[in-house]
Amino acid sequence: MAKTVNINVHHVTRVEGHGNIVVNATNGKIEKVQWQVPEAPRFFEAMVRGRSYEDIQTIVSRICGICSITHSLASTKAVENALGIQVSEQADKVRILMHYSEQLQSHILHVGYLVAPDLFGLPSVVPLVAKAPDAVMAVIRLHRLANEWSDLIAGRTTHPVTLKPGGLTKFPTEKELRELQQRLKNSVGDLKAVAAAVLSVAGNLPNFTRETEYVSLKQDNPPTYTFYHGDITSTDYDGAVSIHDWQSVANEYVSDQSTAKWTKWHRDSYTVGALARFNNNAPLLSPMAKDVARMFGLTQGCCNPFMNSVAQIVEAVHVVETSIEMIDELLTKGIKPESVKTSPRAGKASGCVEAPRGILFHQYEFDRKGNCVGADICIPTNQNHAAIQKDFEKFVPEILDEGEDAVRLKLEMLVRSYDPCISCSTHMLNVEFVR
Amino acid sequence: MKKPIVVLGLGNPLMADDGIGVDLVSRFAQEAARYPSVDFIDAGTGGMSVLHRIDGRRKAVFIDCAYMGEAPGTIRRFTPDEVRSTKVLAHQSLHEADVLRILALAEQLGQAPQQVVIFGIQPQVVEVRQGLSGVLLDRVEQYLAEIRSELEKGAG
Repeated sequence: MAKTVNINVHHVTRVEGHGNIVVNATNGKIEKVQWQVPEAPRFFEAMVRGRSYEDIQTIVSRICGICSITHSLASTKAVENALGIQVSEQADKVRILMHYSEQLQSHILHVGYLVAPDLFGLPSVVPLVAKAPDAVMAVIRLHRLANEWSDLIAGRTTHPVTLKPGGLTKFPTEKELRELQQRLKNSVGDLKAVAAAVLSVAGNLPNFTRETEYVSLKQDNPPTYTFYHGDITSTDYDGAVSIHDWQSVANEYVSDQSTAKWTKWHRDSYTVGALARFNNNAPLLSPMAKDVARMFGLTQGCCNPFMNSVAQIVEAVHVVETSIEMIDELLTKGIKPESVKTSPRAGKASGCVEAPRGILFHQYEFDRKGNCVGADICIPTNQNHAAIQKDFEKFVPEILDEGEDAVRLKLEMLVRSYDPCISCSTHMLNVEFVR
Repeated sequence: MKKPIVVLGLGNPLMADDGIGVDLVSRFAQEAARYPSVDFIDAGTGGMSVLHRIDGRRKAVFIDCAYMGEAPGTIRRFTPDEVRSTKVLAHQSLHEADVLRILALAEQLGQAPQQVVIFGIQPQVVEVRQGLSGVLLDRVEQYLAEIRSELEKGAG
């Protein structure tokens, strides 16, 4: 049946920018399909210029409240690379533990608070409390654990304070690590409960496939399902590119439907995030994470963007299981005090880590006094914009006959599956008084 | 150990007046010894994490930048039932958040404090830059005094 559809999900709030979804079709003929992105947090690059290498992390940790540990780690690694600063094995391991806490936190929040309501056919998590109370409580407990885990290692959950170039200002005690390890072991039941709840409604994930390129970190030595070390690879590329050459991967360009820069590598778009990491590194997952992937039928080579949320559940299990092992390794060697002294010098380098929603690049240049003279940050969300647009272009004709409401909902679900970071810089209230 | 009262400063100090909550809570942190039953937390733009900061408390006090239709620099004390959020959320991302909706979820979960008070401060400027506008900066002492009186009343 020929359909006429006019969708313009336009969020006009200027400060907290959102992506706009535009679809126009008349009598089944599609006239316009666009993912419009009005804002990206690149302005922060100007803010670090002139600042000391020791201050960069504190500033960039505020770029995003959900990924503040990730931005902190990417910037600290870039500073260390630029200034030739070495980090001990112990500090490196504790940082990875810190990074895992944010992966768990973000993935559980995304799946529990944003994706699950869609799958259960509800507008938000609030009514989900009544419909699936056990699953919601498991999500809340896991989120709380991830928060307290971040507090312990990063000094606080949002905007970490223990990181510094060369190491950390404070290490957890062995007693604290043992307690954390026990809590992680105890959380396995909740992880399984969340996976089971999502599996029970996984049939509501749209069956949509678009072959594309998936880009992520890979680490061969030792082989690791990596979020932190390694080189850049993709499903279209057998080799690996040094993270210092990330601009040759991102190939940023300006799209006329967005003020954010878009990216492409071997095709006209690429995708980053949990599904990209899974597609590049799945054989290196922990045993329980592999079981969860199997449970959902998620296999390497999956090109359904909606399965990103399933890959997030798989990764949540992986980071918990891996952290339990890493704490064993730290405890076996014992936590030793460290004091770090660094000195400035001129240099330019990049740092790269996997944010929960995909690969993140930071690059800085410093003068001989260690003051920043240039910065370049490429966030995962910008790397996904072109993929969202290409998904829209393939998906809309496939679902057009379902009518305007279904098209709108499915496109919104598609955007949510990427969990774009387009409105994280402020969170102020907007109220009117009713009493 | 969680203290019975929590004061949460919300916002982003890289976005001018949006950082007023974080600025004020950092000032309170320096006089925290005066308030043995109060935790002062810089919650930044952590969104849903607020849920876990207020759980198990008797009272939560939020300090946040707020568009309230007032003159820039105005501070207003209100409770969640006195206002209605007019904020449009796209529900596209975890990165958008609204404290009033988080409080509604806390209520639904039975994890909300008995008392919730919000101090909203109307911004003069919200843009990418560090530091408060002169309008807010000139009134910082007034803000601190109003919040102190709330804490002295609540610490009882």
